[in-house]
Amino acid sequence: MTSTFFLIALGFVIGLGGWALFLWAVRNGQFDDAEAPKYRMLDDDDEVRNKPKKKTVKKEK
Amino acid sequence: MQEVPASAAVTAVIDGKTRNFCCHGCLGAYELIHSESLDAFYKQRCDWQPGRPAFASVDAREFAGDIVTDGSTSRIELLLSGIRCASCVWLVEKVLGRLDGIVSARVNYATHRATIEWRTDSITLDTILKTLSGIGYLPRPVRHGTQVEAFSAEKRDLLLRFGTAGFFSMQLMLIIAALYAGFFQGIESTYRLAFQLISWALATPVLFYSGWPFISNAVRSMRNLALNMDVLVALGSLAAYFYSVAMIFTGGEVFFDTSAMIVTFILLGRFLEAGSRLKAGSALAALADLQPREALLVGENGQTSLAALERIGEGALIEVLPGDRVPLDGSVASGEADVDESMLTGESAPVMKSSGSKVYAGTCAITGRLRVRVSGDAKQTLLASIIRTVEEAQARKAPIQGMADRIAGWFVPAIILLAAASFAWWHLAGAPLVTALMNAVSVLVIACPCALGLATPLAILVGTTTLSRKGILVRGGDIFESVSRTTAVVLDKTGTITRGTPTLTDTFSCGATGNFMQCCASLEILSRHPAGRAIAEGWPGEILRVEEFRTIPGMGVSGMIEGQAWLAGSRALLEKENIAISDECLATSARLEASGKTTVFVSCDRKLTGLFGLIDELRDDAGRMIGALRSQGLRLMILTGDNAGVARYIAGKCGITEVCSGLDPIGKAEAVRKLKSGGETVLMAGDGINDAPALTEADTGVTFGTATGIAIESAGITIMNDDLELLGTLLAHSRKSFAVIRQNLAWAFGYNLIAVPLAITGILHPIVSALLMATSSLVVVSNSLRLRKI
Repeated sequence: MTSTFFLIALGFVIGLGGWALFLWAVRNGQFDDAEAPKYRMLDDDDEVRNKPKKKTVKKEK
Repeated sequence: MQEVPASAAVTAVIDGKTRNFCCHGCLGAYELIHSESLDAFYKQRCDWQPGRPAFASVDAREFAGDIVTDGSTSRIELLLSGIRCASCVWLVEKVLGRLDGIVSARVNYATHRATIEWRTDSITLDTILKTLSGIGYLPRPVRHGTQVEAFSAEKRDLLLRFGTAGFFSMQLMLIIAALYAGFFQGIESTYRLAFQLISWALATPVLFYSGWPFISNAVRSMRNLALNMDVLVALGSLAAYFYSVAMIFTGGEVFFDTSAMIVTFILLGRFLEAGSRLKAGSALAALADLQPREALLVGENGQTSLAALERIGEGALIEVLPGDRVPLDGSVASGEADVDESMLTGESAPVMKSSGSKVYAGTCAITGRLRVRVSGDAKQTLLASIIRTVEEAQARKAPIQGMADRIAGWFVPAIILLAAASFAWWHLAGAPLVTALMNAVSVLVIACPCALGLATPLAILVGTTTLSRKGILVRGGDIFESVSRTTAVVLDKTGTITRGTPTLTDTFSCGATGNFMQCCASLEILSRHPAGRAIAEGWPGEILRVEEFRTIPGMGVSGMIEGQAWLAGSRALLEKENIAISDECLATSARLEASGKTTVFVSCDRKLTGLFGLIDELRDDAGRMIGALRSQGLRLMILTGDNAGVARYIAGKCGITEVCSGLDPIGKAEAVRKLKSGGETVLMAGDGINDAPALTEADTGVTFGTATGIAIESAGITIMNDDLELLGTLLAHSRKSFAVIRQNLAWAFGYNLIAVPLAITGILHPIVSALLMATSSLVVVSNSLRLRKI
């Protein structure tokens, strides 16, 4: 009995993590542009930048 | 940015002056020009300096309202015009990323929007904007409250609701599966109660967060007494929900899954629909972006000044610099330029524009400077009217969908009445309250509004999207429907089933000149007329130098070759010049014209030396297309403005018996009208301005991507790839799509007709009803998805 409910709760919490990730992704515009990201991997950062590398996450509220 | 090292600088001392060059190539070019004493070139060149002086007008103040400041950093979203491909995105991001003080820069390829974040203490917005315009991308403030913005906000909202519904529904199904098993095999009552309570908790957010749009819409529509699908969706899911809540306390079966699944499935449909509307909206916005928002106005004294389009009206004189887009429609007052009209015509080769030619807003002057006399304000441009037409088309529904909507309008209240009636009947007949309520809910749940609601729009969406991947753009559901009913196809000859450019077939030389062909080709190669090009292609060898070349408009060309005066053109030209034409040549020309050929006469030193026969041949793919159309059992007809000889020749060659020749634009429309009054549903394919009335008159007009803007505007369908066979594909696919729609509707109605009475009789448990309802929706959806294949 307890193990069943424990597993249900566990499954729910894991799912909740996925849901939270989804909400974060939608709010950050991760689903807005499906075209450019596939080309971004082809960009070479061949030159060392003068400044420390920054996180370049698009922030939107 | 890196400084150019001194060693890389290219300098040269020329005539005692030190001059700087960007590279050795330019230095070489300068030395060559200088040594030939052609320095005047540089003076001339300065006269039409390429570039975009309009960029000087980038003003940081325009953007002030869009800046979001957060302590030491600021962020802005702006629109970049000039983004053409993924490498533009790359360039902008890289260039900005290297500026000191930029925290992040991201460009959205689909919407052309850049989001830039910078540290306010190390860089100003002005510098950022200057950098952007310096590399050729004009930053503009984002226009708020636009259609596209509304669409993307709606899409994001639906995605959040759908994702949430999906998450909770998945958890819910896990629990419900256990309850189903318990229903059939028996289950301990504590487990059952616990599972029922968990599923209640899981279904609640789905219904009241994700399903909130349906509920609020249903309330609004009930207040307006116009019952729609949302009422049935809301009522069905709410009834299932509250019934299940009641069942928890009375010990019956719950079916929260029904209520959650109705909401989830319908949200998925709405989300997909919002996506396709957004895509259509952005395509339009991109088109509207082609039109500049300001123009160089030429003043009284010839000085130019930048002015907003709103201040420029008919009759004003504006200047278009090389590389700029034409801001307004008009005719060229002075200057010459190659103009890229591909956005209007699909023709990639630039068109030469000189004094008197018409230019259209949004087209791009590539090489020269033009002064244009404006013919109307910004709302009257061809571009604006194309945008309006497309906007109107998007709102149009297929008539069959109108029928489905009308029936649905009756369907919803009828189902509610039936549910109420069956509740009353069961209750009065002495059944316990629970049974009566269960049967009523069963009626509400089994009635499948989604199948009815999705049957038409989903099939049209899938069908037209599949076609658009092939390059066939359909302007609305009503047009798609009339294509599917086509019984007769009318084809324009020139440019549609023929190449539109003549080829050389016959050459007769009656003079003694040995290098006849070479001279003709040398003369005609300078001509811009398609016939001239065809003759020039007939000579693969060396081209002679032509002096005093002259074009006689509408007649032919003349020039001096090796001291002899050559003339090539129509019979009218030779008659005008009083050059005698021998009887033999007249007979030959008459014979050529009888077999549908155009003749070009050539004279040398006022003596007739020969003539050419040219023909506009059938396109290679025309035969296959006509075969495909005929195998679909369609009546075929050719319309043409050309003479009967040409028309008969072409018709005979492609095996079409019905031909109308010598028609003017109105005559073509008349011929189409006659076919229509004979009971045919007519599809007309054409591409010229002269086809526009007929394209409008026909039930469906089809143009090809290379067609003139006006033809595209009057046609319902545009085939972007210049491939005739797609016409057959279009007809076959539209027929298949509407067959699928009819199947869907037959299924949706048939299902409801059988299932609803069954539910009233109480044979079906609500759980079975819910399962049947979901299956019914799935049948419609998967049947529609068959249209993804052509």
